[in-house]
Amino acid sequence: MNIVVCVKQVPDTSEVKLDKKTNTIIREGVESIINPYDSYALEEGVRLKEKLGGRVSLLSMGIPAVKGMLKEAMAAGADEAFLLSDRRFAGADSLATAYSLYLGVKKIKDYDLIICGKQAIDGDTAQVGPSLAQKLGIPHVSYVISILEASAKKLKVKRLVDDAYEIIEVELPALITVEKGINIPRFPSLEGFFRAEAENVTIWGADDVKADMKHIGLEGSATWVLRTFAPSYEKSVNMIGGSPKEQAREAIAALVDAGFIESGREGE
Amino acid sequence: MSKDIIRYDMEEYIEYMRDESRITGKADSISFPTNEAELKRVLEKLAESTEAITIQGARTGLTGGAVPMQGHVINLSKMNRITGLRFDSDKDCYFLRVEPGVLLSEVNTAISKLEFDTSAWSAESLEALKLLKASKSRFFSPDPTETSATIGGMVSCNASGAKSFKYGATRNHIESLRIVLADGDTISLKRGRDRIAGGILRLTTQGGREICEKLDVYNMPHVKNASGYYLERDMDAIDLFVGSEGTLGITVEAEIALIPKPGCIYGVMAFFPDQEKAIDFVESAKVLESKPAAIEFFNCMALELIRANMYRGHLPDIQRVDPVCHTGIYAELHSIDEDTGKSMLKALSALIEGCGGNLAETWLAISKHDMERLKEFRHAVPEFVNSIIDDRRKSEPTLTKLGTDMAVPDGLLRDVMRMYDEGIQNAGLESVIFGHIGDNHLHVNILPRSMTEYDLGKKLYGEWAQAVAGMGGTVSAEHGIGKFKVAMLRKMYSQDALDSMMKIKKIFDPGNRLNRGNLFG
Repeated sequence: MNIVVCVKQVPDTSEVKLDKKTNTIIREGVESIINPYDSYALEEGVRLKEKLGGRVSLLSMGIPAVKGMLKEAMAAGADEAFLLSDRRFAGADSLATAYSLYLGVKKIKDYDLIICGKQAIDGDTAQVGPSLAQKLGIPHVSYVISILEASAKKLKVKRLVDDAYEIIEVELPALITVEKGINIPRFPSLEGFFRAEAENVTIWGADDVKADMKHIGLEGSATWVLRTFAPSYEKSVNMIGGSPKEQAREAIAALVDAGFIESGREGE
Repeated sequence: MSKDIIRYDMEEYIEYMRDESRITGKADSISFPTNEAELKRVLEKLAESTEAITIQGARTGLTGGAVPMQGHVINLSKMNRITGLRFDSDKDCYFLRVEPGVLLSEVNTAISKLEFDTSAWSAESLEALKLLKASKSRFFSPDPTETSATIGGMVSCNASGAKSFKYGATRNHIESLRIVLADGDTISLKRGRDRIAGGILRLTTQGGREICEKLDVYNMPHVKNASGYYLERDMDAIDLFVGSEGTLGITVEAEIALIPKPGCIYGVMAFFPDQEKAIDFVESAKVLESKPAAIEFFNCMALELIRANMYRGHLPDIQRVDPVCHTGIYAELHSIDEDTGKSMLKALSALIEGCGGNLAETWLAISKHDMERLKEFRHAVPEFVNSIIDDRRKSEPTLTKLGTDMAVPDGLLRDVMRMYDEGIQNAGLESVIFGHIGDNHLHVNILPRSMTEYDLGKKLYGEWAQAVAGMGGTVSAEHGIGKFKVAMLRKMYSQDALDSMMKIKKIFDPGNRLNRGNLFG
């Protein structure tokens, strides 16, 4: 089974802060990481390959430095990596991204299954996977939490919906997007690291994939981000000191003041 | 300052009667000074009595060093400000000035984010901060597992961690100390400036007391060590105080070194088919031209403990350990850049393969996320041990684990491993062995199932301590002696050496008031 795994490099959102003046993300000093959901996609792809044979190809779009992340992903079991990198791809929304990835998949050509993470932790749209399947004209199943059966022809998967699971059988070629918890991603191995070192990441520009300029980058985007801002809410913390008894007394007084409890007689 | 700076309502402060050693003590009063002046006022009030004074930080120690036996407790957790920064161009080093109650985790976060409360900083400190922000990243290297330890506590027991293999213990990273003595007098100690020369200690206190004493120098083991006072004929006087377990004076300020952060870090978790091959690997990795930052060991029972807990759903983010993996070794590589890192990785890989390891089964952490995952994996063993013991204490409340902390000189690793393995096997005890094998420093954790087994384990521990002392090793390489291991220290040092230590104690604390019970019993 030949599998394409789509991966995205994102800022480590656990460390991201917004510049309060400009409302833009402060990227300085923030580490770039593989989108966590994509690491589950990669692990699932490698497991299927180990079971059914074939190869795992990584596909990403981003700046040339994304090569480092792709090499690390190759060390965790992928066989080859393709990076769509061209200034003209920049500024893409989910629609333009899906179109660009579609061109990449078409150039890879030989695939049975595409696996994406359910969403990227920076954009959080969860649209790129399904949108890519649409462009390729193949079926997709999103929010997959478990692959129950897999053969060269079809997959049977468990899909997480709001308050239930759905069991879905899908014929290949198809695309799935996966949830956290579908597996435990393995560590890269030393053997994989040196194998990846010897391999090249293939970089494709817009011309290499014969992109229609109207559909890529900012120009191909149907949506624009006008403003980013952190929702503001006020909170304050009062530290209560003293002995446990004093602390308890003060805490009760504060709760009474705030109207959460009525001042009681017990214990007074 | 309120009049009741000294609290006598001790029933309110029961938690301060114990530390992580699970020893519980007692005291008559407690104080929480928030600055040096308050601390001195406490000492003044106490000067009228001859009460014992126990100094506490975050009480994360494992040997009962912060557990009071009587008298007064001075808890320094409220002296917790980072008060300044200095750049020393000769040493090409930044020194962060901290109060003793600052937590290691707070220091680490502040340094990595470069966020400090600078409201009370001097112009010189602010200037140094500007310089630091413009330069390459720095870090404070001592890395004990317990990051909620205070800097004062770390100074007190010369704390270390996995990376001490490359960077050394806390001692190596303390540039200056300000110490308040039991009588309220103060001394300032600076590395390079205040020396013990030819065994003679010369110091002048802030109060004008001239100290000039000939010290009886004894032989210390040539291993990683946290047992007793550090003493050499020629040394920095500051090193006498680092690791003195609060018995000489009270640290009120320390300058800690911020060294350049490596540009490239790899974490490697390798597995070997048997223990002998794993030790072969360790012995050759130790002498690699580019020394690893850490070399850590997990014996087969430690890996078995991890596997069993993984099946119970613990460590949910970490892949299963293959049953064929017998012994595990973690090595961390630090280098200035990626190219150097890669060549170090190559050299290490050749050793792993040469010792029967399989590179396809060797885990490699490159990203920060994977480094964190591996850290969680490495720290899991003692946590699982503690949870088993907590379980067993439900039916046998006096039961505790028996954890060793001994190190031996180079060349004796195999001997000491054999001694541990045979001892455990002959006694039929349950145990795991893990720890800092790069420094020939292993933690044997015995998990007794009954008090009979506990007594058996304790006897074995005593025999090992005697043997390790005989090998020229130390009975405590990183946790300190505290109150728990006083008998062990006597196995390690002659009466003459102990008398010499007592003489030092009397110079600074003639009334034997500070941390009574630590080191000397």
